[in-house]
Amino acid sequence: MTALIEVKNVTKEYRGVPAISDVSLTLEAGRIHAILGENGAGKSTLTKMIAGAVMPTRGEILLDGKPAIFSSPGEALRNGIAMVFQETSLVPSLTVAQNLYLGDEKPFNRLRGLYIGAQQFLQSLNFPVDPAANVSTLGAAQRQMVEIARAVRKNARVIIFDEPTATLTPEEKHHFFELIVRLKGRGVAIVFISHALEEALTISDTITVLRDGQHVITDDTANFDRDKIIRSMVGRTLSDQLYNRDPAQRSRFYGRKMLSVQNLSMGRMVRNTSFSVYAGQITGVFGLIGSGRTESAKVVAGVVKRNFFHGGIVRLLGRAIRFRTPRPGVREGIAYVTEDRKVEGIFETMSIAESIHIGALAASKSRSWLVNRREMRDLATRWIGALSIRAINSNARVLELSGGNQQKVVIAKALVQEPRVIIFDEPTRGVDVGAIAEIHQIINGLADKGLAVVVISSYLPEILNLSDRILVARQGRIVEEFAVEEASEEKIMYAAVH
Amino acid sequence: MKSIVKNLNQEMVVFLLFVLIFTIFSVLLKGFLNASNLVLLMQGVSVLGILGAGMCIVVIGRGIDLSMVATMALSVAWALQLNGEGMNLPLALAIGIAGALLVGLINGLLIAYAEIPPLFATLATGACVYGFGRFQLIHSDLVYVTPAVGRLVELGQGRLLGIPMPVIVFGVVAAIIAFVLHFTKFGRFTYAVGDNYSTARVTGVPVRHVLVGQYMLTSIIAFIAGLTQAMTISSMNTRISDTLLIYDVILVVVLGGVGLTGGRGSVRNVVVGTLLIGTFLNGMTIMDVQYTMQNAIKSVILLAAIVIDTMINPRDEQTSQHGDI
Repeated sequence: MTALIEVKNVTKEYRGVPAISDVSLTLEAGRIHAILGENGAGKSTLTKMIAGAVMPTRGEILLDGKPAIFSSPGEALRNGIAMVFQETSLVPSLTVAQNLYLGDEKPFNRLRGLYIGAQQFLQSLNFPVDPAANVSTLGAAQRQMVEIARAVRKNARVIIFDEPTATLTPEEKHHFFELIVRLKGRGVAIVFISHALEEALTISDTITVLRDGQHVITDDTANFDRDKIIRSMVGRTLSDQLYNRDPAQRSRFYGRKMLSVQNLSMGRMVRNTSFSVYAGQITGVFGLIGSGRTESAKVVAGVVKRNFFHGGIVRLLGRAIRFRTPRPGVREGIAYVTEDRKVEGIFETMSIAESIHIGALAASKSRSWLVNRREMRDLATRWIGALSIRAINSNARVLELSGGNQQKVVIAKALVQEPRVIIFDEPTRGVDVGAIAEIHQIINGLADKGLAVVVISSYLPEILNLSDRILVARQGRIVEEFAVEEASEEKIMYAAVH
Repeated sequence: MKSIVKNLNQEMVVFLLFVLIFTIFSVLLKGFLNASNLVLLMQGVSVLGILGAGMCIVVIGRGIDLSMVATMALSVAWALQLNGEGMNLPLALAIGIAGALLVGLINGLLIAYAEIPPLFATLATGACVYGFGRFQLIHSDLVYVTPAVGRLVELGQGRLLGIPMPVIVFGVVAAIIAFVLHFTKFGRFTYAVGDNYSTARVTGVPVRHVLVGQYMLTSIIAFIAGLTQAMTISSMNTRISDTLLIYDVILVVVLGGVGLTGGRGSVRNVVVGTLLIGTFLNGMTIMDVQYTMQNAIKSVILLAAIVIDTMINPRDEQTSQHGDI
């Protein structure tokens, strides 16, 4: 095995604060190298330095033994290093072929020739993508294929994937892994950044773990197991508390029937689905992407509208409700904690205190139109304590917090509204390992207090750990219900796939 | 020292620029630094400042109101005309305000319910207001202030403790808007809607009502600005809707550092922006610089302020993705 890239003692400082300090790494041709770590551990910074998107403050990077610190991703690409970003860098309004050849067009481009060339090239890679299709019409996996094809076309010898599987469905993931293995066979060195530990364990040859910008361990994947990775990532064994259900914990009894949904329909996503949610227990909803679980929840909370005709009936404590906006839902005590914090979860210019306060104001039934700044600070202090949000103080901007703490602020913003039904959509997505257990604890605490809690997740261990009752969604409808004692990963997955 | 540089934002930059230019003018220009000229300076930009303070409400809510000047001109001209034709003053003013409110309501409905981008919605309503107003309501371009307004003329020409009334009106309006933005539910919701509309909606903020409220409030401020203007110069020229005044209003808002991305800034920024522009215009008038040249210099200042801000506070990944405008 020859070392293709050697990273030697690199350090990257932002305004004197090191994001990466003194990390060394070797990438070999024909091997898959997984880089793991909590959010903020420095995975992205490290790989961006290799790909020329970020310049190291100190240290050196060697490509084939020659110094190779690139000042731009373009330069790195010309030298055979490509990075496939999480949010893809394709131009959505152009076709696949145009994207493939973007940047090397001839002065007089003939589209037909372009399509034929692209078709042959994609076939040689065995990618089932139509070169004449607009990128905007492609799914996440196909977009990724186009990105990868672009990297291969540029004769990339090193391809870096930043969280490649986050947006993929299980089938797409399967395709993606096949592809990586094929690239590996061609002698490409592959770097793979991921949150999903199982993926790293199954696919990679070597694993490197980073923690707080420092190198913790690099070893062959065969020498790792889940526990060992988590131990290295957080420096302590968390996996027990993390995803394994406490065997002493019995499922909670059914409380009052809070929510009953009958024959709900919404566009193509939700088709005639029915289910109920009870107070004092956690209802887990599992489903693959496209199963309509998020959409059903959003209809209940009033974030989206159901079909006007044959839309079905939603009852809150027996009373039929139909919300056109989330506001009446909030006022009736239904809170929805989003899966996409950036889009509909946080206020990026606001401090923790201000964000939570907006939640309180929106739910407040008092007629007063003045706000009380002192009340705002007290509220913040109380919730920062209750959910152990880690920040310098309540004036810290939410945007500057880690993923886990941002999520806690979003949860606080919902809890301050004193909901009776609270829906968590992917509550631990993009949350650092350290905070997952805490968020699970918060969710359990809510059910113990008698709230009707719904947890939507596509991560089976999370569903099994949290739920008292598990609903499985498939193709826009709830198809199966389990008590947690009778459920297993296999049974749930069997119900969820079509 | 380092922390001072770090905390330097556009507002501070503009304020320092203002201090610098003020000092330079004071030293170099004869007749700049005396009480009567400074009063003149403030008076010259107070209407602009009032308009800016009103505009900043919708800009903080991630919108813009291009119909503001037309609303100001036509509603005030209408009220003055009615008053001149013999209607009693309170009723005429009430009708003027109602007209302005109606424009704000239409703007708000178009933006909040029909979901038309504010830029286009208000561009169209502005043209409508001017066209319809001149066609149906107001008989000539220029409407004079008649003696029928009585003591209201003090609003433009009076003085309180030696300070011209327009400056006082600017101060009061700015203070009221600052209070509304920071200490009322409506104000907090305005920031929430401007920062992230979807988050505000999911959180249960009555986003549509807030948007409509913003545009109505801005229209009332436009009426106040127009009234002040008319009383100062004893007339209201409806052709002002066709001038570049609206860009000056946006200039003072943006110059002070109210972000067009929404949710950022406050009335304070508008005051700082207005002071800078006022000083410049006044100094250049003393130096007898041509009007067209003044425009060119104004735009250079705006660019400089934005460039300096970008250099000191590099945009992070987030803003670079969404863009600043």
